[in-house]
Amino acid sequence: MNKIVAMAAKDIHILFRDKLGFFFTIFFPLMMAIFFGAMFAGLSRGPASIPIALVDADRTAGSARFVGRLEAAGGLAIERIPGDQALEQVRRGQTAVLVTLRPGFGAALDNPFVATPEVEMSVDPTQFAAAGMVRGVLLEAAGAELQAFMSDPSRMSVTNEQNRRLIEEFSPPSEARDDLLNVLDQIPRIPVLIDEAGLGSVTTGATGGFGPPLEIEQTQVQAQRRGPTNSYATSFAQAMLWTLIGGSVSFSMSIAIERSRGTLMRLLVAPITARQLLAAKGLACLGATLFTSSALITLGITVFGVTPTSYPLLALALLSGSICFCGIMMVLSVIGRTEQAAAGVGWGIALPFTMLGGGMVPLFLMPEWMQTLGNISPMKWTLIAYEGAIWRGFTLSEMLLPCAVLVAIGVLAFSIGATRLRWDTG
Amino acid sequence: MLVFDHVSKCFGDLRAVDDLSFELEAGEVFGLLGPNGAGKTTAINMAVGLLEPDEGVVRFADEAFDRNPRDAENRRSLGLAPQSIALYEQISGADNLRFFGRLHGLRGSDLEERVAACLDFADLVDVGKKVVSKYSGGMQRRLNLAVAIIHDPELVLLDEPTVGVDPQSRNAIFERVEQLRDEGKQVVYTTHYMEEAQRLCDRVAILDRGRLMALDTVPALITAHGGPGNLVVRTGDGESRHETTDPLATLAELQASQTVDHFQYLPPDLETVFLNLTGRALRD
Ligand SMILES: Nc1ncnc2c1ncn2[C@@H]1O[C@H](COP(=O)(O)OP(=O)(O)OP(=O)(O)O)[C@@H](O)[C@H]1O
Ligand SMILES: [Mg+2]
Repeated sequence: MNKIVAMAAKDIHILFRDKLGFFFTIFFPLMMAIFFGAMFAGLSRGPASIPIALVDADRTAGSARFVGRLEAAGGLAIERIPGDQALEQVRRGQTAVLVTLRPGFGAALDNPFVATPEVEMSVDPTQFAAAGMVRGVLLEAAGAELQAFMSDPSRMSVTNEQNRRLIEEFSPPSEARDDLLNVLDQIPRIPVLIDEAGLGSVTTGATGGFGPPLEIEQTQVQAQRRGPTNSYATSFAQAMLWTLIGGSVSFSMSIAIERSRGTLMRLLVAPITARQLLAAKGLACLGATLFTSSALITLGITVFGVTPTSYPLLALALLSGSICFCGIMMVLSVIGRTEQAAAGVGWGIALPFTMLGGGMVPLFLMPEWMQTLGNISPMKWTLIAYEGAIWRGFTLSEMLLPCAVLVAIGVLAFSIGATRLRWDTG
Repeated sequence: MLVFDHVSKCFGDLRAVDDLSFELEAGEVFGLLGPNGAGKTTAINMAVGLLEPDEGVVRFADEAFDRNPRDAENRRSLGLAPQSIALYEQISGADNLRFFGRLHGLRGSDLEERVAACLDFADLVDVGKKVVSKYSGGMQRRLNLAVAIIHDPELVLLDEPTVGVDPQSRNAIFERVEQLRDEGKQVVYTTHYMEEAQRLCDRVAILDRGRLMALDTVPALITAHGGPGNLVVRTGDGESRHETTDPLATLAELQASQTVDHFQYLPPDLETVFLNLTGRALRD
């Protein structure tokens, strides 16, 4: 163990002596974090169409018609999902906004005199701009529904008949009851009267007197307290990902360098086993990436006001991410046998996976198929884990999936790399 | 004690080492002399377990033990200075020594004592804290050698330790090797300079194209394969060379017929031994 630690310490020592390696593992990610953080802080994000998840808890013809209207309105990319998965999806950042049509929604649409249709909006706190737009689209669709109702005397008559029966059944005969029934009789004539009075072109909304066409109850999925530091929360998660990539490429190069400089020969002649050598490389990579990613987030917390939602989960995410990239480092060192090849292969593989995994352009701005494809990218899982602890407010059980994926990738890649790595000096 | 027992190693069609047998003796400096490509480094790599022989066995054998150098545990007793400099350039000379010392299980004050001793051995005490990339070629060579002995091994293998070194540093390295012998270590020393083999080695194995051409002490090799020496004389007629095994008799003979202004006797050396054994000069 003493020897493994000695080898790992030597590697870390050398990594931090190497200015280029140091640049790629710390300064480059940090600059990205500050740059993108500052950039997104000043931008209100307005993607062409906002992805929302929709739960139809009502399931009536009326609610279906309303969803049809939302879809036709454009501006929203609606994914219909079962209610039990809905909240998780927002919390994991898969959708910015969750809209739930409450039971009774359809009935209220068909009888606006008695009830107002109700929806619930659960919003990811980083997505306020998007939420505002979704609100607008919902209100517009509900307004259109109401207008359609009001301009269709036959639908109103049906409703009127229902209401008349209700009143007659439940209310004992009285003066008030008679007045109510009289008013009811007049309602279907409202559009006709508006027309006759020559007001048809003036009152286009036709909702006057009925209050808002839709009641929206908006909740945040988790406590919101970030405000302007939001964008740094995202960009520091990305920076931590970059430091892992830089670290793993540097360490995969370090094996090639040991080979080309002949020090690998000395290691192989020393009384240590190949297994100890592997363990040392893994440990060094783990230690260095843990250190650099922790250093970055510490800086994010102390200087840029990033406030992780859970420190224990952050530690878990940091560890899992580093384990994953130690495995990747092993695979890279098998593929790149010379220093230049290791660097070329390392960055050549890392960059596309990073783009796919949301390390450059945030995931939610990507087309859906690309986001799905992103699931094969370890970088995406790393970001999910980091963001889960930094601002998505994951619970332990939510954190387990990305962390398990990361550790599994790490262990698998490490063992593939370790068995394929040829400890020769040529 | 290092033993090669009918050892061969092939790279594709090339027999880099071909049926090589020898056995090191206690406290000797053993030379492997041969031109480029003779198989010296290949033999060294098999001795330290970096390469596995295709045929034959390499052992550390004694009455008490018989060990394979490929076992990690058995490598404690050997130290290798590779032909090309093998050091971590980004860290200091002392840190290089410290690191390899740790790998050999040294710790604490034992380790620091050895680091100091090796810096002294390599004459690098003043620059021990400097990073290796700032060392001159000769300093790196000496450190390359010092790292091989950080753990005080019984057997030291030096693969062409004087390549690319100026005459002064070369002399310093010779002295270090002699110091190792005086400390009772076994040394395997490869070179393609016959002067080095002649000066340093108790016994020399002459290798050519992977094959062992001859193995003995330097005087015995010369007696057996050196052939006659050369007497060079200068007279009024100019300079002439005369092959002879008895230079005094030849000189007397020449003086009988003419006035010899100047003479020089060139005894046979390893160069001629090599020429006689292979039909080629040692250096091309
Ligand atoms: N890994 C290898 N693959 C293929 N051929 C090799 C390999 N190593 C050595 N050889 C060949 O084996 C032969 C012996 O090489 P070796 O390095 O042992 O010679 P050497 O005596 O050390 O030469 P030098 O004085 O140049 O160091 C050479 O012809 C060399 O080209
Ligand atoms: Mg050689």
